[in-house]
Amino acid sequence: MKHAKFVTFLFSGLLMLNGLLFSQTISGSAHDFSNETWNTTGELCIVCHTPHHADVTVGDAPLWNHDVTAANFTLYNSATLDATVGQPDGSSKLCLSCHDGTVAVDNFGGQTNGTQFVSGGGLIGTDLNDDHPVSFVYDATLAGNDGGLFDPTTTNSGLGGTIDEDMLFNGKLQCASCHDVHNSSGIAKLLIKPNSASALCLTCHSK
Amino acid sequence: MNLSRIMIILAGLLIPLLLPAQSVVNTVHNLSVSGPGTVKAAGESEICIFCHTPHRSHPQSPLWNRNDPGLNYTLYNSSTTQAAPGQPDGAAILCLSCHDGTIALGEVLSRPSPIPFVNGVTVMPPGNANLSTDLSDDHPVSFHYSATLAAEDGELADPATLTGPVRLENEQLQCTACHDPHRNPFSDFLTVSTLQSELCAYCHQKDYWDNTSHKLSPATWNGAGNDPWFHTPYSTVSDNACENCHRPHSAGGHLRLMNHFPEEDNCLDCHNGNVAAEDIQMQLGKQYTHDVYSRSGVHDPEEPGVVEVRHAECEDCHNPHASRELPAPAPNANGFIEGVRGVNSAGVAVDPIQYQYELCYRCHADSPDKPASPTSRQIEQNNVRLEFDIGNPSYHPIEAAGQNNNVPSLLPPYTEASIIFCSDCHASDGSAAPAGPHGSIYPQILKFQYETADFTVESYQAYRLCYECHDRQTIIFSAGSFGQRVHRQHIVNEDTPCNACHDPHGISSLQGNATNNTHLINFAITIVSPDPASGRLEFEDLGNVRGRCYLTCHGVQHSPEFY
Repeated sequence: MKHAKFVTFLFSGLLMLNGLLFSQTISGSAHDFSNETWNTTGELCIVCHTPHHADVTVGDAPLWNHDVTAANFTLYNSATLDATVGQPDGSSKLCLSCHDGTVAVDNFGGQTNGTQFVSGGGLIGTDLNDDHPVSFVYDATLAGNDGGLFDPTTTNSGLGGTIDEDMLFNGKLQCASCHDVHNSSGIAKLLIKPNSASALCLTCHSK
Repeated sequence: MNLSRIMIILAGLLIPLLLPAQSVVNTVHNLSVSGPGTVKAAGESEICIFCHTPHRSHPQSPLWNRNDPGLNYTLYNSSTTQAAPGQPDGAAILCLSCHDGTIALGEVLSRPSPIPFVNGVTVMPPGNANLSTDLSDDHPVSFHYSATLAAEDGELADPATLTGPVRLENEQLQCTACHDPHRNPFSDFLTVSTLQSELCAYCHQKDYWDNTSHKLSPATWNGAGNDPWFHTPYSTVSDNACENCHRPHSAGGHLRLMNHFPEEDNCLDCHNGNVAAEDIQMQLGKQYTHDVYSRSGVHDPEEPGVVEVRHAECEDCHNPHASRELPAPAPNANGFIEGVRGVNSAGVAVDPIQYQYELCYRCHADSPDKPASPTSRQIEQNNVRLEFDIGNPSYHPIEAAGQNNNVPSLLPPYTEASIIFCSDCHASDGSAAPAGPHGSIYPQILKFQYETADFTVESYQAYRLCYECHDRQTIIFSAGSFGQRVHRQHIVNEDTPCNACHDPHGISSLQGNATNNTHLINFAITIVSPDPASGRLEFEDLGNVRGRCYLTCHGVQHSPEFY
């Protein structure tokens, strides 16, 4: 505890500098839809979340307020893949509820006739074969079988704890393992940590 | 913002320094600005990006970030490969998206324009890493390595055993069987060390290999001439193993990925006295040789047992996967010619040979286009298999002991029961010469002088080939008809060569008979003519060292002469 306070003090200057450099908030980020004409509420969180009567069909969904995708996804596969990849679940399914391009961004709060669809670089589509796999269990066993992955239960994520603690969700890798949907660190492409020198990739990949 | 976010940023800077030594970060595959090589980006810090992207990869896994070159490659092929390499696919085409030298190293899908490299480098610079689009000098890839293939080939490991560092990809052999692009513990990103060809042996299980001196010899190079191991870091024959002769990329001899073309250069970089003790190259420089130089690209391991287009390459007589120093009694093949193909006494192809003569019969028996015998005789035969047949009235004992059980001239250890090698007569001349018929100053690659010209003055030297086994003293000085009456009269008094009356190989039973052609009698018609009185040119064996001849020679008529 004492040590942590010292570190906090030591980097307090950097903290402020960081605040100047990065937006470090969802406000003004790509996920800030409060000023969109189709969001007549003008609210920031409402496109995804609601305090009451949330959709609980997706496990771990945080007070979900957005129409959920029903797409059947083509999954990533490769000859050297040791993980067992299933249909997107958990928070990944929530991300894909906009980014697969089948559900309108403005299908929230019970609305299903939206017209705003993700396009351009943010469009993942339903073919996930060209995307990093998600929704698979990443544990010490997988790391041992693969040989090219760090053990998530013992490897530091660089975020304060282990990979398992900081980047996995119920032991699974999800979109949110790499992306911070709320842009709290303000890194481009909503990454949870900088990918300078491929640091994000090499957190898990022992290459 | 909190402390952990700060730590993220610091960790981002520190992680590369904390990675284990065998990380891609420390290899030349780190093309980022932090890479250790000379070919690298001018400013890009991301390492993985040159090959991988987390989204919108192409053309395939693993999350590839580069274009498919989309080219038609010239593929490896040889008569001895059962595999059917297709156009590169799988991991191979991914490797080639840099290593064929056609796509800029910095041209990745996730960036709108190519990532700039230092010194203006765009595509892979020329050198070993640039394989080009001609893959015919490279180990084949992108072929189905099945149990069936292994069985057909006969010298490949069962692919089910490839569960260690050498692995297949979807049952295909790809670049990644031998190379791990992320780790470089052995150089060239190899998955296994090439010391003593450990890597090769995961798949290639060559017959005989365990005992050959090409695997076991500790011989080193004396530094003279060409470096036989120009593409390896190793300095003994055993350490170089397969790579004594083969090269998996940029092979000089495309077929079978040889270090060099023409064929003999692979052998003679070592067998010239600079590595192996015996200087075979020197022997091949003599006037009469098995001429390995005059033809190239004719030899084929798959050619018929009875060779149809006659030629001589080192590997016609030697199996470099099998050769070793292992003596054998005649007529058995010794270790130098172990594991080679041949033709047996019945004219049937055999693999491998059991007897030395079976090797010689591949080209000197039933093959077409053989040269005429050097001596014109009353019975012509240039198929040596027929000349040595044990059913013949007489023959030198190559396949079995001879017909004549009374050969008084034989020197010990030879007896009438002896069997000799072809190479007892046909071999490199010189007392210290290495064994085998590589080259001689004497015609027909004879080990010793063997004069065949009429009016040759007799001497030990002139007929030394014969006198090595047949005692000169007995032949020309012994009392009775054998010595003085027959041999001394003709060889010494008349200066007639042995070859005038004797056909040294033998006389085929298809042409000769047990009356006229015993004792290797088959007259040279350039010296001996028919008897004008009878018109006969004939020797008749009367048994018990007696006989009579009908002929004319040196103006002397035998109509007949008895002895």
